[in-house]
This record gives sequence, C-alpha cells and structure tokens, in this order.
Amino acid sequence: MKVTIIGGGVAGIQTALALKGLGHDPVIIEKEDTLGGKLRGWHRLFPVMTPARDVLEPMLKQLRDQQIEVMASTEVQAIESDGVVTSRGKVESRATVVCSGFDLFDATLKEEYGYGIYDNVITSADLEQMMNNGKIALADGTQPHRIAFLHCVGSRDEKVQQRHCSKVCCVTGVKQAIEMRRWFPHSEIYNFYMDIRMFGPGYEEMYRSAQQEHGIQFIRGRISEAAPVKGGKVQIKAEDTLVGRPLKMTVDMLVLLIGMTAGCSNSRWTECTGLSQSDSHFMRPLDMFEGNVRSELPNVFYAGTVTSPKTIGESLNEANAAAMRVAAYLETL
Amino acid sequence: MNFNSSFALPFSVGVMVLFVVITYKYVRWLYRLPDGDKRQIGRNLFSRQTWKAVWECVTESLLHRRIFRVNPVLGYMHMSLAFGWFLLIATGFVETVAYMGWTPVPLRGHVFFKYYSREAVHTEMWQMVFTNVMDALLLFVLSGVALAWTKRVYSKMLGMRRTTRHVWGDRVALTALWCIFPARLLAESTTSAIWHNGGFLTGWVGSLLADAMSPETLVAMESVVWWVYSFALGIFFCAMPFSRYMHIFTEVPLIFLRRWGIKSDDRPKSFDHFQLEACSRCGICIDPCQLQRDAGINTVQGVYFLRDRRYNMLSAEVADNCLMCGRCSERCPVGVDINSLRLNSRYTFHNSPSFRRYDYLRGVDTSQGEGKVGYFAGCMTLLSPRILQAMERIFEAADEQVWWADRNGGVCCGRPLKLTGEVDAAREMMRHNTQLFQKYEITTLVTSCPICLKVFREDYNLQDIEVLHHSEYIQRLLAEGRLKVTPTAEAYTYHDPCELGRGCGIYDEPRAVVKSVATLLEPSETRNMALCCGSSIANTAIPDGAQLKIARSLGQSLEATGADGVVTACPLCKKAVRRGTTLPVYDLAEIVADNLTTRH
Repeated sequence: MKVTIIGGGVAGIQTALALKGLGHDPVIIEKEDTLGGKLRGWHRLFPVMTPARDVLEPMLKQLRDQQIEVMASTEVQAIESDGVVTSRGKVESRATVVCSGFDLFDATLKEEYGYGIYDNVITSADLEQMMNNGKIALADGTQPHRIAFLHCVGSRDEKVQQRHCSKVCCVTGVKQAIEMRRWFPHSEIYNFYMDIRMFGPGYEEMYRSAQQEHGIQFIRGRISEAAPVKGGKVQIKAEDTLVGRPLKMTVDMLVLLIGMTAGCSNSRWTECTGLSQSDSHFMRPLDMFEGNVRSELPNVFYAGTVTSPKTIGESLNEANAAAMRVAAYLETL
Repeated sequence: MNFNSSFALPFSVGVMVLFVVITYKYVRWLYRLPDGDKRQIGRNLFSRQTWKAVWECVTESLLHRRIFRVNPVLGYMHMSLAFGWFLLIATGFVETVAYMGWTPVPLRGHVFFKYYSREAVHTEMWQMVFTNVMDALLLFVLSGVALAWTKRVYSKMLGMRRTTRHVWGDRVALTALWCIFPARLLAESTTSAIWHNGGFLTGWVGSLLADAMSPETLVAMESVVWWVYSFALGIFFCAMPFSRYMHIFTEVPLIFLRRWGIKSDDRPKSFDHFQLEACSRCGICIDPCQLQRDAGINTVQGVYFLRDRRYNMLSAEVADNCLMCGRCSERCPVGVDINSLRLNSRYTFHNSPSFRRYDYLRGVDTSQGEGKVGYFAGCMTLLSPRILQAMERIFEAADEQVWWADRNGGVCCGRPLKLTGEVDAAREMMRHNTQLFQKYEITTLVTSCPICLKVFREDYNLQDIEVLHHSEYIQRLLAEGRLKVTPTAEAYTYHDPCELGRGCGIYDEPRAVVKSVATLLEPSETRNMALCCGSSIANTAIPDGAQLKIARSLGQSLEATGADGVVTACPLCKKAVRRGTTLPVYDLAEIVADNLTTRH
C-alpha cells in the first residue's frame, strides 16, 4: 500500500527502504533536487570518523536498486487524511511519515559573533564543506594558526529562543577540533564550552583523546563577543569560569558550532493537521516512549530530527521503528 | 437668615479635618524641599510661568483637556465632576452674595443655601435665574456621576479596557462622593416640595415627592435628607486627604511647582509627594502598558506603583518590573513623571555606594584615532557589529576624522546602572567617561545607542561638546551634502526606540534618513505612542518569555504595515525586534551605508 514520506534525508531514505522491505510502496517527496539532506554537506561522522559518503551512498544505491519512487524538487504544502498536497499536485496514500528534519541555526542571529560580517568567522557546517572541498584556509588563503571553537551557538540560549540542547554539537566540536589538529598539526586549538555532553558510545573516549593526545584546550566559558583586528584576525572576549577571570584572545579562525532548530515546515504541519509542537517547536510525538514515532493522528508518523535533535544513528533507528509502526497500522485497515 | 442647624455639623467637621490635614501636608512638603528647589521657586515666582500655571489649572484641573484628547467620554465624566462642582460652589457663592450682600456668611451657609433660604421670597426674576442655573449645574454633575457608575460596572463603554482596583480608603471616599450629588438632589427637592423654591430639576422632583407623600412625611424626610447630604460631604472630606481624591487639590500646587521648574530626581525628595498625591488613580495608564496587554502583568502599572509608594507598601518587585517605555506618562492626564519616581524608588531599594568597586576604572583608555568628532558605540552597538561597520563606512564617506572612544571596549555610559537605582555607581562611570571626552578635546560626540544618548544629554555635564544621536548626525550629513545615498525601491517601517523617541524627543531625523533611501510606512501606534520592543534594560524583573510576547506583538504591528523590512535606531531594539518578526531588521546606519552613492 502507498505511503508518502516527507523528506529525503537519511531518515526518509531509511524509512522508505524499510517499508519497501516490508512489502509496501513508499514514495519520497523531497523539496531539494537531490536526496541526502544535511548529510550531503558533512565530511566525516563522529565518533569513528566514518566518511559521510560511506553512509549515504550505499543507501542511495539501494534506493535505486529497489526502484523506490522519488519526487524531487517537490514541496509538500499540506498533509491530509488521504495523502499529501504537493507543489505538483495531490499524492494519495494510506499513511504519511514526516521526515522533514531540522534547520541549521542561523548564526547571523548572534550578531555579536560577527558571522557574515568578519571573514574568518565560520560555522561548523561551513567547516565540513571546506573539508569536503579539500581546502581549509583563511579568507586570504593562508593557514590558520590559532583556531577557536565556540559551543552552543543557538543552543541552550533563551535570547535566540533556543532553549533546547542540540545534542550533537558537543561531539561535533570535539571531532572537528581533532580533524583540525590533523590538518594543521602545529596550530593551537581552543574549545569554549559551557558544558560538554558526551552521551554516546565512544564520545567520552574521543573527548579524552582530544585533550590528551591532540592537545586541544577546553575552556569553560561562553564567548561574549568577537571583534575584528588587523590582518583579518578575530579578537574574542570570554570568561574562563573555572579560573573566574575574563579573557581576551586573538584567533585566526572562529568556528561557531551551530545548533539544530526546529524545521521551518513544522508550523505548516501544525496548521494543516492540528498536530502539536513542543516548546522548542519540534513536532511533539505521541509520547516519549512507546509512541515516539507516532503522532496524534493514526496515519501520520515521525522519524528523525523532526521531533528533536538526533544523531545519524538515532535517526536511522527511528526510521526503522517508524516503518514497523506504519506496517502495523496498514495491517489494521 | 439663621444659619444655625445641627445637620450641618458633619459637613463642618469634614471641612475642618480637610483643611487641617491638607495644610499640614503641603506646609511640610514645601518646607522640606531642598534649598535649590526653594531658590528656583523664588526666581520663577514672578514670571510668565506663574500665569501659564494658572491657565493650566483651568484647562487641566477643571476642564481636563488632556483626558478629552485621549477619550472624549471619559473627559466629559471628569470635567462634569470637577468643573461642574467648581461652578456649583462658585455660583452658589455668588447667589448667597446676591441675596445677602457682603455680609459674612459661614461656609455652611453657602453650601446649604437652598435650605437656609427656604423661607425667603423667591419671586424676582434674578432669583429664578439663580435657582435654575444651580439646578442645571447639579444636573451636569449628576450626569458625570452616572457615567462614573457606568464605568465601574462596564468600563469598556467608556473606552477603558481596565480600570483601577482600589484600596479601602478610596472605596469609602468613592461611595461618599457618589452619594453627595444624589443626596443633594433629594434634599433640595424635598425642601422644594415643602417650600416651592426649586428650579426646573429640584422643583420637578419636589412636585413628584409632594404628590407621593403627605406634608408630614415630607417635613420628617426633609430633616433626614439634609443630614444624609451633610454626612456624605463630611465623610468625603474626612476621607479625601487619605484617598485618591487628594489629587483634586494637589494637582494645583503640582502644576505651579512644575511650571517653576521643579522636577523629580534620581534620588527621592520632598517634591515627589506632590506627584504621588496628584495621581487620581484614574487608571488611564493601565491600557497603554504592554506588560499588561501582552504579558498579563497586572500589578506594576503607574497607578499601582504610585499607590503602593504613597501608602508605603511598595515592593522592589513592583518598582523593578517596568520597561520604563514611558507610554503611560504620555497618556497621564495629570502629567505625573512616573519614570523619575520609579527611578528614585529603585534608588531607595538598590543604591549601594561602594566606591572601591570601581577602582579599576582609573586610567582605562582604549580609545583610538584622532578627530574633533568622537564616536561612542556603547556596549549594545559593540554587540551588533553591523552597525559599527556601517558607521565606519559613513564616517569614511563623509571624510570625517573620528576619535573612537570605545571600539576596543570602553567603560559603560552608566545608564544601565542608573536605571537599576545604583545611582552612585553610575556616577563613577559618568565621571570616567566625561574626563575621557574632555581629555581628547572633542567638539561633537556621536553615539548610535539611544540609551547612551539619554544619559549623555541628561546626566553628563559635557559643556562644549555637542551630543548627537547617529540619526541626527547622519541626517545632518545628508542635508549638508557630505553624504549621498541612492534611493531604493524598498518600503521600510520605522520603529521608534523608547529612549530616542519619548526619551529624547527625536522622531523626525530618523524618519528623514529612512525617507532618503526608501519609502516609509508608519505602524498604527507610532511616534510618542510607539510600542516598546520589550527588551528594555530598565526592566530587571521580567522573564524572557514575557519579553518575547511583547516583541511578537510589536512584530505583528510592524508587519501589518506591509513593509519589506524594519528600520530602527537602537542596537537593543534591533536585537529585540528580530525576535518578534520574520522581517529583516536594520539599523538606520546600515541602510544608509548599504546605499551610499560611490563617488566618481
């Protein structure tokens, strides 16, 4: 039976693969012209530096092999009880899985860090892109000597209406710091954090090795502001809260570890279906346990970061779980 | 005429109490004024200001012109009570003189003249005129009382969404006040029923009474109703100096003192009493308050703050929970300077003189550059580097030599501390910055932060340095042709920052600058009634969620203009407005710098 899947990121692809395996007929509707979502922009994945390609490519190949229908460059405008309305007309289906994911936090909202204003202030996503392109350099093409990472940009920050923890940025910051050490063995690398949350398998070990083997400095304290100094460098002001002193540091490159914000399409889902959003605007699953991939509607399901920040692995798990739930639901029809 | 009657006793006692208490209060407050204020009064006593004050007393205390402008029905209600009652007293006095000539008549003789003159002959034409004029005035006042009753029951009918919740003393006085005029009508009508001395109103009500009752009942009733009337007056006069009705008299000295240049300060002083007790608790300040209308905070508005402070039950919570946006003062019919009073209440709660705390300020100088024009970014501009960058480009385009006071981090202007009541600490910052500005001998000081601007203009003594907001400075550059911009097809709406608009009276310059690059669209509430962004540094008690609600409500009103973007002229507003709208938000300097005409 036909199932629409909104979003062709890892969660959407895996949901489609799993549903196909269960004998159903999934169709992926993706607003971009290619599948893969945010994962396409990533270079390597924590905690074991798996190339993002190695995760995505086999999934895409399976999708092609199994001839799963994909509607690219198509935007879903509304979810209805018998399918979805898209920019290319109505797609009828018996169930819908919402895998519309998250948005990256817009770092220009933290104007004090100068993203988009100073040349050498970049985001973690920009850095991944640089690594994918094979060249990490300052705006003038030279190599950075002193690099600072700032954690929690757009996470746990009331002032930009992001109270939630984005979960993956801590370990991303550690991962990227280690990668930078490999690119620039003689550089100085600092991570400014308020808490380091190493929740997954191998994460804590990675954090330890970042300090012990890679000589990365971790300073507890958020950066309050960045200012330009001569030569394209950036001066940052922070407080080292363990020592209890303010500090100023001039760095060549400032990397903002941007968080995950709720997808901008979430309000559309809420408007057309009556589904609800949590305080952080992520979609609210039926419950946090047994119904974590179900919605308040019997024929609408969730997988991946549409409901909260998640790692790639967690999104894949949810995709499988959602497929099982959909299959069980279709049985009852 | 015989003016001896026992029923006048409550009235006479009330008048005595009123006179003694009010005299005691005013003499005490005036005596305790600081010497500077007393000298100021001495200088201005025989000046045009005194005449202006007399005129203001007529237009405001009696006619209530300011309320009329905001809400005509409410204006009529207040005017009929104040001006109507005043005319009743004045006309009653003239009437007594007309009857009696210039013989000394006790006060009760004037007030209860209808009773005392009941046995006199009332056949002359002028007597009939007096009787009917007095009836007309009574009707005028009664119409106000009727509106006041309606307002209590159904405030929306009078254009007020919310009215004041009153204290116990107010309720006594209010009840007495509401009884005074109906009681007077009844008393005079009863007398008229017996003696036929009424006008069109009291005569008519009197004839109705005469039809309904026997003459014996009327006589018995007459002795009762005049007692009731006298009691209502007596109770009202006794309660008055302790209730909100103290405003009736206090507004008059307040108007004079204000005209003579006396102001409330950042520390409490005796003049504050005049302001506090001139508040009539009309509640007009409640509706404009965004804390009330967007965030559901209902205990901190001007009327409640003034009430709490007057009765010594002010909490720091109430004093601190205010954006100090000044929208309430714009509407206040008495013109109470609520913000200054709130500031000096905060001083009482929070000022902690600890001068060694700021020892580290000594010698701090991170300024750079040379020029007669100084630029003070302020902390919020430093946190909004786009504005700083835009100013840099503007200075460059205008070929201005600039001394940068604080771009590498400077000392705070002092206003945030002042707003929390830490006046002594704020003075330390002000002293430091003043010395810095003087050391570099600048002639013009430009700032892009209205918060800094206000404190530079109000609290700094910068003598020969002209202080300009960047909106004024840019407008001047454009007017002089030192800066050229290319107009765009964009339509922007302009958000008035509180500290710039209501705070410093700067409304036109930023608008002129916006118009030089784009079409300007005005939101429905604008200029002196512009909404606050909600993130005011003056409020240290408000939770972030409430700030956000205010920002969103502002965002909606800005979006309703249909503009492509929002322009504001305050770095703090810029940050706050961005939280409440999906429209792009720019500082004035940014739209100018982005559209500079490049010179060939």
